[in-house]
Amino acid sequence: MAKAKAAQIFIKGFWEENPVSRQILGICSALAVTNLMTNTLIMGVSLIFVTAMSNVTVSALRNVTPARIRMMVQVLIIACYVIVVDIVLKAYLPDISRALGPYVGLIITNCIIMGRCEGFARGNPVWPSLVDGIACGAGYAAVLLLVAFIRELLGFGSLFGVPVLPADWTRWTIMVMAPGAFFVLGAIIWLVSNLGPKPKKA
Amino acid sequence: MNKKRIFSVAYMFAITLAFTSVVSAIHLVNQDKIKTNERARLQGIVLEVLGIRAPAGSTRAQVSDLFDARVKTVQLEGRSVYVGLAADARTVIGYAFGVSGPGFWGPIFGMIGIDPKLERVLGIAFYDHGETPGLGGRITEHWFTAQFAGKRLEATGPGQRYFTLKRPGTSQGPNELDAITGASGTSNKLELFLNRNLGDTLPWLRAQQAKGVL
Repeated sequence: MAKAKAAQIFIKGFWEENPVSRQILGICSALAVTNLMTNTLIMGVSLIFVTAMSNVTVSALRNVTPARIRMMVQVLIIACYVIVVDIVLKAYLPDISRALGPYVGLIITNCIIMGRCEGFARGNPVWPSLVDGIACGAGYAAVLLLVAFIRELLGFGSLFGVPVLPADWTRWTIMVMAPGAFFVLGAIIWLVSNLGPKPKKA
Repeated sequence: MNKKRIFSVAYMFAITLAFTSVVSAIHLVNQDKIKTNERARLQGIVLEVLGIRAPAGSTRAQVSDLFDARVKTVQLEGRSVYVGLAADARTVIGYAFGVSGPGFWGPIFGMIGIDPKLERVLGIAFYDHGETPGLGGRITEHWFTAQFAGKRLEATGPGQRYFTLKRPGTSQGPNELDAITGASGTSNKLELFLNRNLGDTLPWLRAQQAKGVL
């Protein structure tokens, strides 16, 4: 695979067709895990791993998997990788595993992963699928970190748990709650669709 | 057509077997590590609520050794009671037992430590919950749990409550505590199950003490 093509796939997944800000996928977790940056970062890394590996596996099996049962196969593959992530976090990063609680398991339901398996990996070779998975996962993680940055800063006056604003900072409680995520995410999507690349007319 | 269907079923069966085998293998390999982590964590929590401090920077193994030296686990009538011992390993300095109940989103598990006369709280910790991070999830934070330490265990007022969670900043009475801003749901549920658990366990502990088994 040519380097130029890999870069192209990456830019497309990370920016031009960013799963969160352009495709509006994975919104549930974007709202749920973005009030503390540490949780968001681990969530992002986990999602990059699951998306990339699921893409690779679905792509590797694309010529043998019967089309009629492909969704079942994809869900199985995704679920297996998510459980692996969960086990690894529990065994080696128990504190972070506890902080994320149920959200790791909920990666299974993240539309981005199935979207990439179905929309890209099913019809492309293994290597481009890996790049695509990493790019989309990273695109998701980047937007979530941006949302978390704003929410944690205004909601708690801290970043990655380290206080950065003066102690008498009035916390914006709404930023910590789900409605805060709607506002921040909405504003980001609005900015991206105005400043970012215009969608190509079909 | 029929052949295709049989292939689909066989394929799904084979791939499920393959993937679940791999996941099970990874689980088996890490099982002991996860169990050790969980045990070490529980031991740390029991020590914490009993007020037995491990020196700062202790490793998991050191915490585990401290636990073995200073805590005796007693199984009575299907309940676990952790008996905290003084440095002489004989004098009882307190009891710890689990408290749990439904929270706002899911079950909350905690551990409470009380003095040998069953009169005061030594410490409390909540270690497993599904509450909203930053809101109900703050039940694990020190400012919240520290409020419990030293409180008298007396069921008072209507409903015979041991603790009453008040609006943050308005707690005054001896059994009143500050609830969590923005997490009234979690605070109310917590108050409910703590009072219920204590109302159930304290008389039981007294009965065990009277029998001389504790």
